[in-house]
Amino acid sequence: MYGIRKSFGQVVALDGVDFEAGKGEIHALLGENGAGKTTLMNILSGLYRLDEGQISIDRREVSIHSPRDAIKAGIGMVHQHVELISNFTALENILLGREGSRWKLDLDAHRSSAEKLAASYGLSIPLSEPIKSLPAGIQQKVEILKALYHGADTLILDEPTTMLTPLEVDGLFSTLKSFAKGGLTVIFITHKIKEVLDNCDRITVFRGGLKIDTISREAASREKLVQMMMGERGAPPENKRPTGPSAALEGSPTLSVRGMYTSAEWGVPLKNITFDIPRGLIVGLAGVSGNGQKELAEALAGLIEIEKGDIHLNGTGVSKLSMSARIARGISLLPQDRIEEGILPSLSLSENFVLGLHPHIFKRRGIFEQDTANELGRNAIREFNILAKNEHVPAAHLSGGNIQKMIVARSMMLSHKTGKILMIANNPTRGLDVMAASFVHGRLRELRSHGAGVLLISEDLDELCSMCDQIIVIHSGEIFGSFDGPEYDIYQIGVLMAGQKSETGS
Amino acid sequence: MAGPGAIRLGERKKAALEFAITYSLAAALSLICGAIFIVAFGGDVLVAFGTVLRSSLGTWGGFAQTLNKFCPLLLGSLAVAFGMRGGHFNIGVDGQIYAGAIGMTGTAFALQGLNLPWPIFVPLGMLGGILAGLFWGFIPGILRVRFQVSEIFVTVMLNFVALYLVDYLANGPWNDPMAGEAITLPIPDASVLPQVMPKSGAHFGFIIALAAAAGMYFLMTRTIIGYEIRAVGDNPKAARFGGINVNRVTLIIMPTCGALAGLAGAIEVSGFHQSLLLGLTGSEGAPNYGAMAILIAVIGRNNPLGVTVAAAVFAVLLSGSDSLQRSIGLPGAAVFVFQAIIVLTVLFVQARRNTSAG
Repeated sequence: MYGIRKSFGQVVALDGVDFEAGKGEIHALLGENGAGKTTLMNILSGLYRLDEGQISIDRREVSIHSPRDAIKAGIGMVHQHVELISNFTALENILLGREGSRWKLDLDAHRSSAEKLAASYGLSIPLSEPIKSLPAGIQQKVEILKALYHGADTLILDEPTTMLTPLEVDGLFSTLKSFAKGGLTVIFITHKIKEVLDNCDRITVFRGGLKIDTISREAASREKLVQMMMGERGAPPENKRPTGPSAALEGSPTLSVRGMYTSAEWGVPLKNITFDIPRGLIVGLAGVSGNGQKELAEALAGLIEIEKGDIHLNGTGVSKLSMSARIARGISLLPQDRIEEGILPSLSLSENFVLGLHPHIFKRRGIFEQDTANELGRNAIREFNILAKNEHVPAAHLSGGNIQKMIVARSMMLSHKTGKILMIANNPTRGLDVMAASFVHGRLRELRSHGAGVLLISEDLDELCSMCDQIIVIHSGEIFGSFDGPEYDIYQIGVLMAGQKSETGS
Repeated sequence: MAGPGAIRLGERKKAALEFAITYSLAAALSLICGAIFIVAFGGDVLVAFGTVLRSSLGTWGGFAQTLNKFCPLLLGSLAVAFGMRGGHFNIGVDGQIYAGAIGMTGTAFALQGLNLPWPIFVPLGMLGGILAGLFWGFIPGILRVRFQVSEIFVTVMLNFVALYLVDYLANGPWNDPMAGEAITLPIPDASVLPQVMPKSGAHFGFIIALAAAAGMYFLMTRTIIGYEIRAVGDNPKAARFGGINVNRVTLIIMPTCGALAGLAGAIEVSGFHQSLLLGLTGSEGAPNYGAMAILIAVIGRNNPLGVTVAAAVFAVLLSGSDSLQRSIGLPGAAVFVFQAIIVLTVLFVQARRNTSAG
């Protein structure tokens, strides 16, 4: 790819980028969010059209205008979030778009050729199972096999490890290595330096829509890659995990949950959840996505009614209280899905900032005081460094990262106004660049040092290990074990995440 | 503090400019389309437009008629717009108008013997209409909250229920035996809404409707419940995550919609017809107020101010429609084609500008 340029409106996402990947190599694209790495690969796979530049495959110039063109050119992309039809079986998903004859679907022929292909790469996939019953790691393999089945010899993977347990990550990389040995080109988008150093042949670093450089694995080191990713801004402050409790642990814990059950109508049913969050500690909730984390957060916040059990906040039962009443008592929830659950897209930033606080901050009863809201909005924009023209623009005008900052800012303010009691942060750094993530981590630590209890839910074990005083593991709605910091054995945590009950845990 | 103030003004100015451009383009386009239509029917464009304007605004009688049409159009459109702001589709304005009319008429008959003076009797009658509308809006609200039934279906069905209830009352228990048709006895004089312009026949309704629009503006922008309604309408999930009780908001929105339309029905009875009859929700051969209210709410972008302006335009067209036939031989329905053209052009221009901007 030469001289690739792409802009969205006035934002230049890629500016004159050259990129090459060779046959039989694993090539990492490394950069912060918004650096342009995914955009470049979306161009290669036909999702976006390039504004300028050219693409050649095997020294022949090709024009890629649609995903169909890309597939014809042998390019297959596996996206960050699995894009399969959950009611279809693995086989049906794999042959989707390549059914053959318009009228007749020869499932058996497809099955045998898909099996042959899978076997040749050492992939084992239960082809007749519906997708929804397969774990995330297998679903990803289905996506990969689908790309191969469509004739891909260049495989692009966008942040493939976010949804996986450590063991699954290892499995993925050994599969990718065997692909590369078999002559495929593997391009692998990530922001995790460790994965790059462990698994890749060459590394291309992006920053702010520009390619910084391509270097070989031998020439790379952690320090060098960080410096390339961050530029003159320097690395984010080294995240030192504080040791020991930050505030007095005397008295009752901030949050204590005993024997909590929820019904299946709300999603994954929770079973017999029992744990404490002590004052001034960060407790991490580890688990593969979709194992009840969201339901647990919502049950604590008061969005889901519990069937059985108790939730005590500072010694008082809150399980019967409405969400609004729990907010007033100091439970602050940072939702996981910023677009769906976080923002009021056509309302202004200040109106977004007061959501949740609005029953509590206005002086005159029942009256919405625009001035108060605007002042709050202005302060939050300044303090959290949100890129917005002013507090009156609609929230939908912000970029994804800034929306996340806005939501973080809102829950922090909420927590500050209600006495810094309990923060439930559900994947607070997803989609944030390194600097912004480090800022959020700093804020959570600050809450901790003020004596607040923090429940940090994350699919990123590295994040949990670096942040938490204690990690509990959830699997299919049950707590499978708990680990005390400061040092964690991520493989042991991974075993529990995968659903094997530990005998040693807790 | 000049800085942020200036920025804010700039932002507002830009939005206002955007608004003005969209609507000027839409107005120009609909005038051109309307003109083509009139020419195709062999009419004279200028005469046609002139006739509509002269007959609706040019004489006191016509102006009064326009004001009287403006009242139910505005209240009905507010009843739609209020629901839309909260993410609910109120297709039941006609039914709620009828419910309000029943409430007014029933109250008037019930209190007939008390010899109340009009300053007490009229407000009580209005209250009866509002409460009946409130109840008619509460039904879809509670069904939505309890059983997740779409308010669209319920409000449409309730239109029929209200219609046939009026049919029954006007033919049955409240029927005026002297009239020989489906109409009730006249309501007592003391329950009749007074006139603003007695000579030309404009009643107080338009002032009440304007007050309701102002009230909705205040509620939406200055109160916490208005904020919660807007939040729920914008993204109910995020509103829920912000601790807003979405069910409670729904149970405020739907009955309020019903009350607004119910007030329109009460005014139609008390100010205009002075008895309960079928056909309250629009003149013969014209679309019902409920249908027009949806169009007006769309054009006015569910904003009380925009809805007021759009309702005024529609009232002018509606009251000018009769004279069109008399003066140039165009069918009166031509006006409704013109209304449809306005709606389509506004939507078209909005969509074009949105895609070119985004």
